[in-house]
Amino acid sequence: MAKKAAYMGMLTALAFVFSYIESLLPINLGIPGVKLGLANLVVIVALYTMGVRAAFTLSLVRIVLAGFTFGSPASMIYSLAGGMLSLAVMAVARKAQVFSATGVSVLGGVSHNVGQIFVAILVMENTSLAYYLPVLVLSGTAAGVLVGILAAVLVKRLKKGIGGY
Amino acid sequence: MKKKYIMSAALLFSALLLAVLSRHSSFGGMQRYEATFLDVFDTVTSITGYAKSEEIFTEQVELLHAKLQRYHQLFDIYHSYEGVHNIKDINDAAGRRPVEADPEVIELLKLGQDMYRRTEGKVNIAYGSVLAVWHEYREAGIENPQNAQLPPADLLGACAEHTDISKLVIDEGAGTVFLEDEEMRLDVGSIGKGFAAQRLAEYAREIGMEHVLFSLGGNVCAVGAKADGTPWRVGIEKPRPEAQGSYVQAVELAGRSLVTSGDYQRYYEVDGRRYCHIIDPETGMPAEFFPSVTVMAEDSGMADAFSTALFVMGQEEGLALVEELEDVEALWVMEDGGIRCSSGFGIDEEE
Amino acid sequence: MKKNDVILIAGLLLAALAAFGGISWYLAADTQKAEAVVEVDGQEKGRYPLDQDTSVEIQLEDGSYNLLEIKDGRADITEASCPDKICVDHRPVSRRGESLVCLPNKVVVEIENGQEAEVDGMTH
Repeated sequence: MAKKAAYMGMLTALAFVFSYIESLLPINLGIPGVKLGLANLVVIVALYTMGVRAAFTLSLVRIVLAGFTFGSPASMIYSLAGGMLSLAVMAVARKAQVFSATGVSVLGGVSHNVGQIFVAILVMENTSLAYYLPVLVLSGTAAGVLVGILAAVLVKRLKKGIGGY
Repeated sequence: MKKKYIMSAALLFSALLLAVLSRHSSFGGMQRYEATFLDVFDTVTSITGYAKSEEIFTEQVELLHAKLQRYHQLFDIYHSYEGVHNIKDINDAAGRRPVEADPEVIELLKLGQDMYRRTEGKVNIAYGSVLAVWHEYREAGIENPQNAQLPPADLLGACAEHTDISKLVIDEGAGTVFLEDEEMRLDVGSIGKGFAAQRLAEYAREIGMEHVLFSLGGNVCAVGAKADGTPWRVGIEKPRPEAQGSYVQAVELAGRSLVTSGDYQRYYEVDGRRYCHIIDPETGMPAEFFPSVTVMAEDSGMADAFSTALFVMGQEEGLALVEELEDVEALWVMEDGGIRCSSGFGIDEEE
Repeated sequence: MKKNDVILIAGLLLAALAAFGGISWYLAADTQKAEAVVEVDGQEKGRYPLDQDTSVEIQLEDGSYNLLEIKDGRADITEASCPDKICVDHRPVSRRGESLVCLPNKVVVEIENGQEAEVDGMTH
């Protein structure tokens, strides 16, 4: 139990740090909150090593923490929409066992961006934002592939190192 | 342990890679909007800018519009406005008493004094009484072309006696302005729009507009570049409409101003001859050196003043003046359609 | 990576490309419908597509007028009651954002949609 708590804490901290690094990177897709989802790497690791509930908690804590420390209420709404949709899609995809971690991560990255743009369209009442969809699907896929490959390596090593759950 | 370092290095590397990737796919997320209004400075004002939504842009433009309307009232020499201490009030009290002036009017008049010095009298805001005569004859001539007349030389000569800018007394402490010469009149037409454009540019930045191009009747001022980072492209109007193409030259502009003085916008004709609205203070007559001159400068007020100054001197004399100045560049369009420009004008070399 | 992953990625890329193509086509089709929008004192009075030659008399309440002619995809004011005739002297316009203005009559004819103008503004 203690080991699990420590592991969870470590992952949360890591996700938080990734969010911070991402906020420092000069990336601007022009739509608030639409980002690469580096923190998604940690969420996937949590999903694979600890299960859906832990990943959900971690994702939620990370978004709230990041939102309060260096985000804004607005960016938090976008993050929540993207993060929750992404997690739901990934959980289902993992259960279905059709894809490897890479495929799951790609689906997560794409649905993250799609979720955010969808909220942006609702909030800004600007349907022409949908024109960004192709770009967001592309960037989500690219980010998903990289994050997925890294996650697969990490999950393998972590399972070896910690003994798995 | 070593593997952890490799892993974190790999993570950082991929983060950077992703950053670069997404930067290249950036769309800016801002859309381009335009607004036009006709109720300031008796000319056409257009604002082109980028904003996240139309509502945001409209809100920002309304703020700019209100600011411009205020300048319009402050610099007006023909009308009074309730609760506004404008240039007309100063003119009306000439020779009688100092009148309270808005701090921004005082700023403008100080710019006028400064420009008088820097242009060796070519730009003179105390030249109002001569300009008023020309204005009256021009308006009458446009309204009724058959009976268009030139102002009589003795009238112009008499008015020119009352254009000594040293008789403009500004008391900054008291916030008042006094014209010591009863017959003297201020006319800030040569610097007013430029001053307003410069203030408007600063205000636009304050309210969060980072990519705006506005034109106050052809006084063009660029706040920043376009949203995608490329400079604005501004065309210099052809003085003679018969010539081919829609503009003489396109100029790339970011964070700077472009002002043109030409003989083709406000003019009237007497006996088939064209008389434009820019008067050479040396002769009291419309300048006729060349069709137009365009000045580029960082400060819009400077650009406005120097375009007037250069318009009332020969091209070579003007070129010598411009080359002495830092951050003022100019392009002349000659009567034969040829172009001359100062060394730093930086026109694109495509032709 | 499994074979399914590759199929997924390829599928997403294809979908994105197809959507991108579709949107570009839609936007291109949209911009071809260039219109001259007539405004009097800030009020929109009419829209006239540039691909149909026509002649519009913009009548004002006080009897002043501007004659707008659309020909060969370009809009031009060919006649006006205003004294200065600056609007009549202005060259015909056809590109998005370009405009014809008659200050005395408070008439603005602006081109919407259509091909992008070569310049963002003009100094005169």
